Amino acid sequence: MSTVRKDLLEKIDRLELSPRNRAWRAAMKAAGWRVSPDRERWTVKSWKETEGEDLEIRRAKLLACILDNLTIAIQPYDEIVGRPTPWVIGCQTSFDVCGDYIPGIWNDSGDFAATLDASVHIDAEGLEILRESARLFRVKTMPEMTYKAWEALVGSWEKDAEAAKLKDPSLDSAITGQSTSVLHWDKILKVGLRGYIEQCRQHIEAARTAMETDIRKIYFWEASIICLEAVIRHANRYADLAESLAAASTESEEREHYLRIAATCRRVPEHPASSLREALQSMQFCNLAKMLENPIQNNAHWGRGDQYLYPYFIKDIDSGVPLEDEASLLADLIGRWGTQTFVSSGSQKESHQINFGINNVMVGGMGADGKDRSNELSYLFLHLVSLLHLSSPTVGLRWNSQTPEWLMNKAIRTNLATKGGIPLFENDDAVTASFVRDGIPYEEAVEWCGLGCVYPTVPSRSEHYGAEGVAAFNLAGILHMTLHNGRDINGKQTGLATGEGRDYKDFESLYAAFLTQHRYLCHRVLWLGAVARDMGHEYLRLPLLSILGIDASMDLGQDLMFPHPDYSLFGISDRAIIDVADSLTALKKLVFESGALTMEQIMDALDSNFAGAEGERIRRLCMNQPKYGNDDPEADSLVRRISQDSAAIIHSFDNSPFPQHIISREGLAWHYYGGLGAGALPNGRKALEPLNDGSLSPMRGMDTKGPTAVLRSACSSCFSDVAYASVLNQKFSSSVAASPDSVDKLIAYTNAFMSAGGTHIQYNLLDTEQLKEAKSNPGDYSDLIVRIGGFSAYFVQLSPEIQDDVIYRSEFEL
Amino acid sequence: MSEALISNIQGYSIHDGPGIRTTVFVQGCPLRCRWCANPENLSRSPKTGFLSRLCRSCGTCLTACSKGAVLPGPRRIDREKCDNCGDCVKVCDTGALVQYGSFMEAGDVFEQVKKDDMFYRASGGGVTVSGGEPFMWPEFLEELFSLCRGAGIHTCVETCACVSPDSIRALIPLTDMFYCDLKIMDPELHREQTGADNALILENARLLAAESSVVCFRKPLIPGVNDCMEDISATSSFLKELGVPRLELMPYHRAGKTKYEALDMSYATGELSPLSPAEAEETGKLYISYGIKCTVSR
Repeated sequence: MSTVRKDLLEKIDRLELSPRNRAWRAAMKAAGWRVSPDRERWTVKSWKETEGEDLEIRRAKLLACILDNLTIAIQPYDEIVGRPTPWVIGCQTSFDVCGDYIPGIWNDSGDFAATLDASVHIDAEGLEILRESARLFRVKTMPEMTYKAWEALVGSWEKDAEAAKLKDPSLDSAITGQSTSVLHWDKILKVGLRGYIEQCRQHIEAARTAMETDIRKIYFWEASIICLEAVIRHANRYADLAESLAAASTESEEREHYLRIAATCRRVPEHPASSLREALQSMQFCNLAKMLENPIQNNAHWGRGDQYLYPYFIKDIDSGVPLEDEASLLADLIGRWGTQTFVSSGSQKESHQINFGINNVMVGGMGADGKDRSNELSYLFLHLVSLLHLSSPTVGLRWNSQTPEWLMNKAIRTNLATKGGIPLFENDDAVTASFVRDGIPYEEAVEWCGLGCVYPTVPSRSEHYGAEGVAAFNLAGILHMTLHNGRDINGKQTGLATGEGRDYKDFESLYAAFLTQHRYLCHRVLWLGAVARDMGHEYLRLPLLSILGIDASMDLGQDLMFPHPDYSLFGISDRAIIDVADSLTALKKLVFESGALTMEQIMDALDSNFAGAEGERIRRLCMNQPKYGNDDPEADSLVRRISQDSAAIIHSFDNSPFPQHIISREGLAWHYYGGLGAGALPNGRKALEPLNDGSLSPMRGMDTKGPTAVLRSACSSCFSDVAYASVLNQKFSSSVAASPDSVDKLIAYTNAFMSAGGTHIQYNLLDTEQLKEAKSNPGDYSDLIVRIGGFSAYFVQLSPEIQDDVIYRSEFEL
Repeated sequence: MSEALISNIQGYSIHDGPGIRTTVFVQGCPLRCRWCANPENLSRSPKTGFLSRLCRSCGTCLTACSKGAVLPGPRRIDREKCDNCGDCVKVCDTGALVQYGSFMEAGDVFEQVKKDDMFYRASGGGVTVSGGEPFMWPEFLEELFSLCRGAGIHTCVETCACVSPDSIRALIPLTDMFYCDLKIMDPELHREQTGADNALILENARLLAAESSVVCFRKPLIPGVNDCMEDISATSSFLKELGVPRLELMPYHRAGKTKYEALDMSYATGELSPLSPAEAEETGKLYISYGIKCTVSR
């Protein structure tokens, strides 16, 4: 955007959180976690009433029953209304989708874990409601039926692979039933749900005229109408409530506030939005209904929020709506979506380590006309996210060669304000080009946005990433099996018998065995995923998500639980490439080239987890071999080789008639989980310890040639030739962006990396607390350089007293 | 090809000149400033150091030394016997024993510097040679900067200026920017604090002001040494006389203390508390009151 309003940007820079936003934040922080039995109560009632009806219609009526009866509330600090429970933080459960998936409900105390570290309590009456639902739905749901099918095909093999952390998520975890989570916001805001209903009616009429024989289409459109009408009624329940609150208000300002809410809820989501307030309120009702349809898949993604919301925002500004009011509305929804909770299950707990639903907003980036679309709203998103200080949403900036300097500057300053990671930078040109390479037309590809943490997707397609239980694939676990004749971390023969580690005589036969194990496991996992894909629709339908999420569903008359080859994307993530590459490099150097050690010695050391003086000596030798991240051609070339071979194996799986799998190597907190799937590795990592973070981050403390060498290594990995998200995390002391001059330098650094073909980078700017942590855990921070003009040293080399000086400086510079 | 003794080549240096830079630290220095932050860069020969807090007492180093210079205790190196050969460093896996300095040819240093060209181009950066004193290795400097010039890489050198004017004059055509230290104006105090007279330094400062394309004068700000009105006034007059009324203050810090300990060297100002940027800003304001455009470095 060449005509950005600089005065508006300056006003945004001065914005603070509104009193309502602050009141919400205080209430949110004070609130305990709660689980509501409300959804299950109405689920059970509806399911009993609709027995004998078509599954599509039953699922629609189930949602309608929930929306019509759920207890609702409006809080005094609400700008936007609509929550799954009456409380500021509360979650609903989904036994109808996952079966008996919360073991804790059978504990009579009523206390159980909602996520890895959040506990909830529910009273006896509520507990009985949850149990009744669990009894009604268990052994009949999609994940449970799929596990039965898998067992019929491969016995216990799949469960063994899951237990060995070779693949995740498990099917009963949150991703079940996932399809695209980015609703088609642009259309929802433009036509309103009434427009969708009209289109469904026309399709039903036309189908009758044409003597359509596929009744599933008619049921789908009818189910869609049932859901959409229920969402409109739900909004009107809020309008009624707001009106009654207004009537009870004694202050005129408060009364006007409630009347404004009532008027908004009367209008949207039924009708097209005409202001930012209506647009955001419409989005919240649609998202809320989507979540109530399938609470375990509750992620509320913005997609390109700065694009479809911009016309409403700028029209409001031009007509005199104060910027503060607009910001307060937007901050409300960012905060609401960032603190959406759920009861996680299965591998989701361990592999994601999150408490809030992951949601994602992408700012900036190209339009279909080949021009950058960054605007003042992109800037406002960044500003509000830094004020809110929440772990969610994930914010990404679509970097391209036209990204304006003012947005980059704000992005780096937001990184400083949030201590890093917000926003992360993704290479817009590279992602779009990858989608085009994979057969998506440019006009669709250029609208790509983030799903979950960093996974790029195209909102016009239904996304099955992980939905079939095959999202992440642990190459470190496969290396472990290669060194143990196909036995996994639990000692089970999950892989092929390719030979014992100690018997390998040359590097190439070891490498060939690794690829053999990889192919065997990968193709089996993808095969089982395809089985899941083809049977899911028998047990689950998601009419609301289908009609609002995938534009093509309308014309096809098809629920996205029946994936359509032209509108579906399948994703997989082959992870731990750096761990495997460094390990194989160490074996190559130490055993097959220098002969410093024998395979026998190495295997003894690995199997004893580097125990004793000899084990420690071998571990040190392993650590001192060339490592990725130092621009070392030998170490980096093996990374490239594994990347390409792994992709070739994935792509050799015949996924027809669907497109071949898209490879996305993102990680989030997975490296802890993946680490549980591998014993000691020849890169010097001990058994069960976390793997390397991200997908292109060097082994912790092993990038000794400085940050620019890491970027050169990352570029030479050529991940973007075959994969999408290739996450690189870099740590700096926060002083690296403390002055305007150093902000400019970090911008230049980012630009240089992206221009050279880097795909993704996120900065971790260590604050005082983290520097203190570095002081007590030097091993994890041995790459941290102290940057003072004319002085050079690694932080961990400094004595405690001097480290305190450095910490003091960083405090001051903030 | 000429060599220099290099202690470190640091990428993404952002405080040593314009843009993103690679700073090449060389060893050897004619001065012995009491506050020096890089004691490993004083000597023109490699030095073995011991960072006790990284030691895991594995004992491997004890048998690696043929001179019997490695001791079992917290003071690991017997400096009487040690010839800084580095044999003990080679067997140390924890990073506790470190070798400061390895000889590198100008061409090899250039190859390393050139790798970050994409960052220089994006930021207007380049290479900075620092130390120690770069002019301890004049032929190396000339060769390195000639190669950089040929590759379009911006060149910068940080000098204490206590070096031969001829060597500076020879480098001027190859250098885009000089940092020149003006530590203390009073000759007697200068001798006491740095071990050398400042006449040569002032002469070179005049030379740089007159003939170099860009010169940036710097002053390490040492509490109780050169933060007095006498030095502020004399420095300001001198800078105005040169026609370069700008100064960058480098507030004293003691981040080098660990390295003194590692080298078993005594640190004259080691007990001095570091200056906060706010305190340095106060001195900066005094310079500004004398008509000097003064900035405080981080």
